[in-house]
Amino acid sequence: MSVTNLLENWAEFRHTHPVDDVPHDPYKWAMSIDMDTCTGCNACSVACYAENNLPVVGKDRYEHGQAMHWMRIERYWPEDGREFPDQGAQFLPMMCQQCEAAPCETVCPVGATNHTADGLNSQAYNRCIGSRYCSANCPFKVRYFNWYDYPTTENVWPAEMTMQLNPDITLRGKGVMEKCTFCVQRIRAGERSVKNEGRILRDGEVQTACQQVCPTNAITFGNLVDPDSRVHQQWKAQRVELTVDEQEKDKEEGGSDLRGYRILEELRPYPSVMYLERVRESAI
Amino acid sequence: MSKRHLLAVFSNFHEAEAAVTELRNTSIKGFDSNEDMIVKSPIEHPEVEEFLGDKPVYVQWFTLFGALMGGLLGFFLISGAQANFYAQIKGGKPIVPFPPNFVLTYEMFILGGVYITVLGFLICAGLPAKRSPLYTSKVSEDQIAILVKTDEESAGVLKAIFTKHEALEIQEEAGK
Amino acid sequence: MKDINEDIAWAKINTDVLRSLESPRKLYWVIVFGALAVFSVAVGCEVYQYNMGMGVANMDNPHVWGLYIATFIFWIGMSHSGTLLSAILHLMHADWRKPIYRFAEAMTTFSLMTAGLFVMVHLGRLWQFYYSLPYPNDRSLWPNFQSPLLWDAMAIFTYLSSSVIFLFVGMIPDLAICRDHLHAGWRKKLYTVLALGWEGTDRQWRNFRVTYLTIACFLIPLAVSVHSIVASDFAMSQQPGWHVTSFPPYFVAGALYSGCAAIITLFIILRYTFKFEEYMTLAILKKTVRLTFAIAMVWTYLNAVEFASVWYSHDIASKEVLIQKATGPYAIAWWGMIFCGSVVPLILAFKRFQTNIPVLLVTSLLLNLGMWLERWMIVAPTFSHGIYPWTWDHDQWPSWVQWGMVFGSFGWFTLLFMVFCKVFPSVSMYEVKEMVYHRTLASKKLEDSGMQESGKGAH
Repeated sequence: MSVTNLLENWAEFRHTHPVDDVPHDPYKWAMSIDMDTCTGCNACSVACYAENNLPVVGKDRYEHGQAMHWMRIERYWPEDGREFPDQGAQFLPMMCQQCEAAPCETVCPVGATNHTADGLNSQAYNRCIGSRYCSANCPFKVRYFNWYDYPTTENVWPAEMTMQLNPDITLRGKGVMEKCTFCVQRIRAGERSVKNEGRILRDGEVQTACQQVCPTNAITFGNLVDPDSRVHQQWKAQRVELTVDEQEKDKEEGGSDLRGYRILEELRPYPSVMYLERVRESAI
Repeated sequence: MSKRHLLAVFSNFHEAEAAVTELRNTSIKGFDSNEDMIVKSPIEHPEVEEFLGDKPVYVQWFTLFGALMGGLLGFFLISGAQANFYAQIKGGKPIVPFPPNFVLTYEMFILGGVYITVLGFLICAGLPAKRSPLYTSKVSEDQIAILVKTDEESAGVLKAIFTKHEALEIQEEAGK
Repeated sequence: MKDINEDIAWAKINTDVLRSLESPRKLYWVIVFGALAVFSVAVGCEVYQYNMGMGVANMDNPHVWGLYIATFIFWIGMSHSGTLLSAILHLMHADWRKPIYRFAEAMTTFSLMTAGLFVMVHLGRLWQFYYSLPYPNDRSLWPNFQSPLLWDAMAIFTYLSSSVIFLFVGMIPDLAICRDHLHAGWRKKLYTVLALGWEGTDRQWRNFRVTYLTIACFLIPLAVSVHSIVASDFAMSQQPGWHVTSFPPYFVAGALYSGCAAIITLFIILRYTFKFEEYMTLAILKKTVRLTFAIAMVWTYLNAVEFASVWYSHDIASKEVLIQKATGPYAIAWWGMIFCGSVVPLILAFKRFQTNIPVLLVTSLLLNLGMWLERWMIVAPTFSHGIYPWTWDHDQWPSWVQWGMVFGSFGWFTLLFMVFCKVFPSVSMYEVKEMVYHRTLASKKLEDSGMQESGKGAH
C-alpha cells in the first residue's frame, strides 16, 4: 500500500536531484556548442524542421512570434553604436537546454513534462492540456505552443509534401506545447538496436539532426557519463560541472582562459548544454 | 396513552420565556419539559438557550474530526500518489516535496472541516426534517411558538398556562 | 443620516424583501437581457477560439499568457470581499454587515464561477481539462501536485464549494420564510425542498449558530490561502516581476480592494433596482466606503513596497521589467493602474462624497478598472521583457477575441448575480431582524441607564 511504500522508500523519495544525486546511469545526454565555429548558417534549424515535423507557419505568423523553430539562431550585435561592427553579429544556437532541474517541470499542472532517467526533459503531447505555464516559467523561452492546428492548416504540408514527414514522430495538433527533444526518436532507436548486442551506445552512434548537418561541427552531442565521449571530454576540459551553479571560469579573477559556460546558470536549472565562448581578437 | 400536540403562539420573547419557565417549574403528568417542549423563533436568540436550560451542541466534534481526516487524507493521498504512481523527478525537487504537499494538505484540512461540519449540522439539527404536526407561518415572521407534546388529560393544564401568559393563539392537534 | 429604522415591524421586513423576488423595477430586466447579450459575445469568441486554436487570441511565444489569466485573477480577487463581509465582520460582530452580506456572498460564488471559466478558456486543449483533476484511473496517472496551478484548482474548488455551502446554510432560515409566505407555484416547491424543513426550533437554531460560526472561521484562512496561492502562480516562478516575496499579501490586499469596490457598485445597483432603500442604508454604504478607503491605502503601501524592493535590489532583470512597465508599451495601462488604484480612492476620504451615490458609482467602477489593470500589469509585462533578451523584441497586443471574452465575462457574472437576486432573498431577513432586535435592546438599555442617572440627579 501507499503508506508502506512511502515509509519503506522514504529516503529515495526525499533526495534532491541533481545536487545530492548519483549521476544518471548509463546515459546522460548532453551537448556542447562551440560558438567560435558557428557561422550562423541556420542549417541546424532547417534540419530540425525536417527531422521533427515542425510546421512552417508562414510570414505573418512568424512576425507574430508564433514560429515553431525548436532550434533557433539568435543574433546579437555588440552595442558599440555602429550598425555593422567589424566582427559581425554573434550567433547563438538556442534550443531546449534539457535542464537537470527544469523550471518547466514543476509547474505543469498535469505532469506532461518530466525528467527522464537519461537526463532529458520529456514532453508528453497526449497529456498536455495547454496551460502554457511551462513556457511562462522557462527562462530560455524555448518552448513552442501550437497556436493553430497545423496538420490541418492549408499550405503547411500540402498534399504531396506529407511524404516528407518523419514517420518516427507524431504531428502535434492545436493546443499542445512542444520543444526540442534532443531528437529523442533517434536516441530510442539507437538504444533498441544496441540492446540486441548487449551493450550501450557508443559515442557518435546517435547524432541529433542539428549536429549531423552542422557544416563546421560546432555542435557536439553525446553521453556525458561516458568518459570516452567527445562531449564528456569537452565538458571536462572546460571544467564545467553539471551539478554546480558556478563554474571554474566564473570563479577565476581577472578573466579566464576557459571558454565553457552555461546560460542563466545562476537560476540553478542546471542546463545540459555547454556553450564555448567565441574567441576573437578585439577589432578596435 | 395517546399523546397530543399543542402549539401556543406568543407575540414576544418575554411572554414566551415566562410560559417556558412556568412549564419547566410545574410538574405535569405525561409532560417532560426537556423532551416534550420545542421553542420556535424567527431569529437566533441567545436567551432562548438560556431559559430552555443547558442543551449541548456537538457540531464542533464533527468539525474536528472532519478537518483532521481531511488533512490526513490529503497528505497521504498526495504523497502516496506521488510515490506510488508517479515516481518521476520534476525540476530537481524531491519526489515527495513538502511545501506543495503542505499547501494541499491545508486546503484538504479546510475542505474536510467544512463538509463534515455541515454534515454534523444536518445530523445534530435533524435536517432535513419532517414538518412537525403543528406549525404556523407566523414563526417565520415575528412570533414565538411553543410546541408541546403531552398526555390527553394534561392538555388542559398546559392550555391554562399558555393562556395565562397571553398566548395569541393556541393550536391543537385534531383528536384521534 | 438615516439608518435602518429600529421600530420597523418584522412582518414588514419579510414583505419588503420578499417583494424583491416578485416585482423589481424595469431596469432589472434591462440589466438581465443586457447581460445576456454581453455574455453571448464571449460565447461567440470562445466558439471561434475553440475551433481555430489559441492563435486567434493573438498570443505568441513568449507572450503565452494574456488577458485570460489577468482577468482570472481579477475575478478571484473580486470573490474575497464576500468572505470579508460575511465571515470576518461576522466574527467581529459588526452588525452593519447584516443587510448586505448575502449579496456579497453571492458575489463571491459567482465571481469564482466566472474565474473558473477563464481557466477553461485559457487552456489550449479545453476538451482535456479533466487531466488536471486527481481522479483514480487505470493508468495510475495523477496530476502534478507540485504545480501552483493545481493548488489553484484545489483552492478554488474548496473555496467555491465552501462558499456555496456557507451561502446556503446562512440562507436556510430565509428559505423557510419564503416557503411560508410565497404563493404556491414552482418557487414554493423549490423553497420547500431547500428549506429542509426548517421551522426555527431551538435545536435547529442552536446547531445553526455553531455551524455558521465554524464555517466562518474556516472561510477566513481559506480566502487568504486562495489568493496567496494565486499569487504563488507568479511568486513561485523564476520570472522577473513575478518572483516577488511580497506577492501573497499584495494579492490578498488587492483582492479585498477590488471586492469592496465591487460591493459598492452592486450595492448601488441593487438598492435601486430592488427598492432596498430601507435596508441598504447610506449609513451602511458609508461604512463600506471607509473600509474600501482603508484597504486602498494598504494596497498602495504594498505596491510601493514592491516597487521599492525591486528598485533597491540587485536583480537587474526585475528592475528592467519595472522600468519597462512605466515607460514601455504598457505605460498607459500601468500609469492608469496607479491613478485609478491609488489616486482615485482619495475621493473616498471626503465625507461629503461618502454618501454621494453618483460619485461613488463612478469611483467604484474606476477602482475596479484600476484593479483589473493591476492584474494585467502583473501578468503581461514580464513576458515582453523577461530574463532572456532574445524575446524582448516581440510586440504583442491582445486580439479582439481576448477582449471579447473579458467583456463577456461581465455579462456572465451579472446574469448569474441578477438571477440569484430574483430567485433568492438578497437581503438576509432573519439577520436584519436580529440586527433590529439587538439595536432596540441596546438603545433601551441606554435609555434605562439614562433615566436612572437623571433620576439620581432629581433625588
